[in-house]
Amino acid sequence: MTRARILIAVVGLDQHEVGAMSIAHALREAGMEVVYIGRFNLPPAIVKAAMEEGVDLIGLSAHSWEYLHYIDEILRGLRESGLNTPVVLGGSVITPSDEKTLLAKGVAAAFGPSSTMDQAVAVISELVGHERCR
Amino acid sequence: MSGRSSESGIRLQPVYRPADVRELDYENDLGDPGSYPYTRGRRLETDGGKWIHRELSGEGDPRRSNEQLKDLLSKGQTGLDVIGDAPTMALIDADHPFAEHSVGTQGVSLCTGADYTTLFDGLPLGEVSFSASLSPAFGIAGFYGAARAHGLDPKTLRGSVVNAPFFCEDCGYATQSPFELRLRLSADAIEFCSVEMPKFHSFLEDTYFISDGGLNAVEEMALGFVEIRYVVRELLRRGVDIDRFAPRIAILVNCSMDVFETVAKIRATRRLYARMMKEEFGAKDPRSMAVNIASHTSGLSLTAQQPINNVVRGTVQAMALAMAGVQAMEISTFDEAFRTPSAAAHEVGLRTQQIIALESNMSHVNDPLGGSYFIETLTDEMERRIDTMLHEIEAMGDPAALSDNGWFRKLFTDAMSRYARQIDDGSRPKVGLNVFRVPEAEDTLLRDESEAKIEPARQRVEELREYRAARDDSAWRESLRALHAAAGREGENLIRHLITAAECGATMGESSGVLREAYGAPYDPFGLLESPLAV
Repeated sequence: MTRARILIAVVGLDQHEVGAMSIAHALREAGMEVVYIGRFNLPPAIVKAAMEEGVDLIGLSAHSWEYLHYIDEILRGLRESGLNTPVVLGGSVITPSDEKTLLAKGVAAAFGPSSTMDQAVAVISELVGHERCR
Repeated sequence: MSGRSSESGIRLQPVYRPADVRELDYENDLGDPGSYPYTRGRRLETDGGKWIHRELSGEGDPRRSNEQLKDLLSKGQTGLDVIGDAPTMALIDADHPFAEHSVGTQGVSLCTGADYTTLFDGLPLGEVSFSASLSPAFGIAGFYGAARAHGLDPKTLRGSVVNAPFFCEDCGYATQSPFELRLRLSADAIEFCSVEMPKFHSFLEDTYFISDGGLNAVEEMALGFVEIRYVVRELLRRGVDIDRFAPRIAILVNCSMDVFETVAKIRATRRLYARMMKEEFGAKDPRSMAVNIASHTSGLSLTAQQPINNVVRGTVQAMALAMAGVQAMEISTFDEAFRTPSAAAHEVGLRTQQIIALESNMSHVNDPLGGSYFIETLTDEMERRIDTMLHEIEAMGDPAALSDNGWFRKLFTDAMSRYARQIDDGSRPKVGLNVFRVPEAEDTLLRDESEAKIEPARQRVEELREYRAARDDSAWRESLRALHAAAGREGENLIRHLITAAECGATMGESSGVLREAYGAPYDPFGLLESPLAV
């Protein structure tokens, strides 16, 4: 079986990269391939990268509230491109109520400040394993 | 042999004794507070507890931030400090397509000269200092213009502006400008202020923001010194006398939870700085050697879990800083993990400082830890390690090349990974996070206050459109041409041109854009806007 491929991106203008780089590192350690497209990504860039890189999952890093305003456009863009790639979000600003909102919108998982790196990696592994075996 | 280490890895003995400091030379290594090498303090304070009490502010549009500052002053704040929002720090205007969802949510939106004038409205700038985390050239041009607009002589303005040409791109204040441009703007700002705003600290070396991704105290100060030394050398190369600008260098340091290491770090920094200024750069003015140190307590040390615990952390850190003898303090607020500070959280931060200043007697004596076998040993060791690391970095070659080829970036990302690992494996205990966790459903105290969000200041988009429509079409364009041309001439100070451009109605995004162009970079780092010079 080929290795799972994960896209990691920081959304919007926010410049805090700590979380994104940490999860990218942890996923690589867990044997997955990570395509890290860095900071300053608007929805079109994320959708485009997902298509071009043929990823199994999209991980978005959120350290500001911008993600709440972009997530609908991202999910819509993926649908319209014919992709059913699961999207997960992680970041310290994600509150429990944000998590509920995100799941209701169709985000596959959201990792707030209480999630550990191990938990995030485990959930992601499960999501991509599930996808690969379809 | 088991034992404890300080946060930066210095092995600590269970107890320290006279033998550990037998080589300590009071005259040469310590001196009284206010005497070279200033280890014990910049000045001998006779009226303790009078560091500048302030909280980092800025949210929404300039009017809202102005009200926020007035509110903080009414609560006893004795200095002002604002940070720009994400678009302002990135040097793009609030109506840039990329900016729309982050205008005013993490700082104040400052795009025009008029914005700065509004920000200054009714503030007692004759009595309080105004510090800013803003791009130095734009911050200084903005402050200068605003002072004049309010009939204030810029020569009387006190405050500081963050100046970080090396590290801004990697540490969250990326303006996507070439290094040469950043260095020039930094040095131009310092040179301009040495004449036009001589009471203003135009060079605030901010080691807080570069270290709060996980650097330890030694790494923090080594990098800070590398940057200070580089910028100092640039100004000397320009022919500016050291004593003309060095008195207006200041340092904003981080404050971790390691109380004694923080005190030692600050004492070591004062001594290193004084010796460097005197012996290496030939400074003669004592004010060039006695560095002004402010501190912002570590946001990274705070948790989203059990926000009230952050009040305790802020208190511990404020006590460390009071003992270290800093000139200004900012306490990261209990809601730091979630948002730019709420009014309630700001108030707690201020009260923390006030209680320590007025009730604890901690500041009644200068450098109360001086002479402690432990603190003097730790100060010496911190100095040795900082000095070693900074020289190792300089020995690697031009720091500018290190900045360009990602060496510093790797240091930052390695530090971030290291910190995350320490939290995950528990080797760095964090109450509420990896030890003594409380189920989310039970963690309700201060939760509503901490999680409340503020909406982006979307009205700024329309405001800027109206602003652009109302301005004299030829004046702002001409001023941008002049700015662009000046940027192409070596040795010309750009601050005057930035001030003129702002007066003529050019926005910060436009001015920064044409500067990028003059240095061979795209007008708009995000490739969405066209340069007004293209027409």
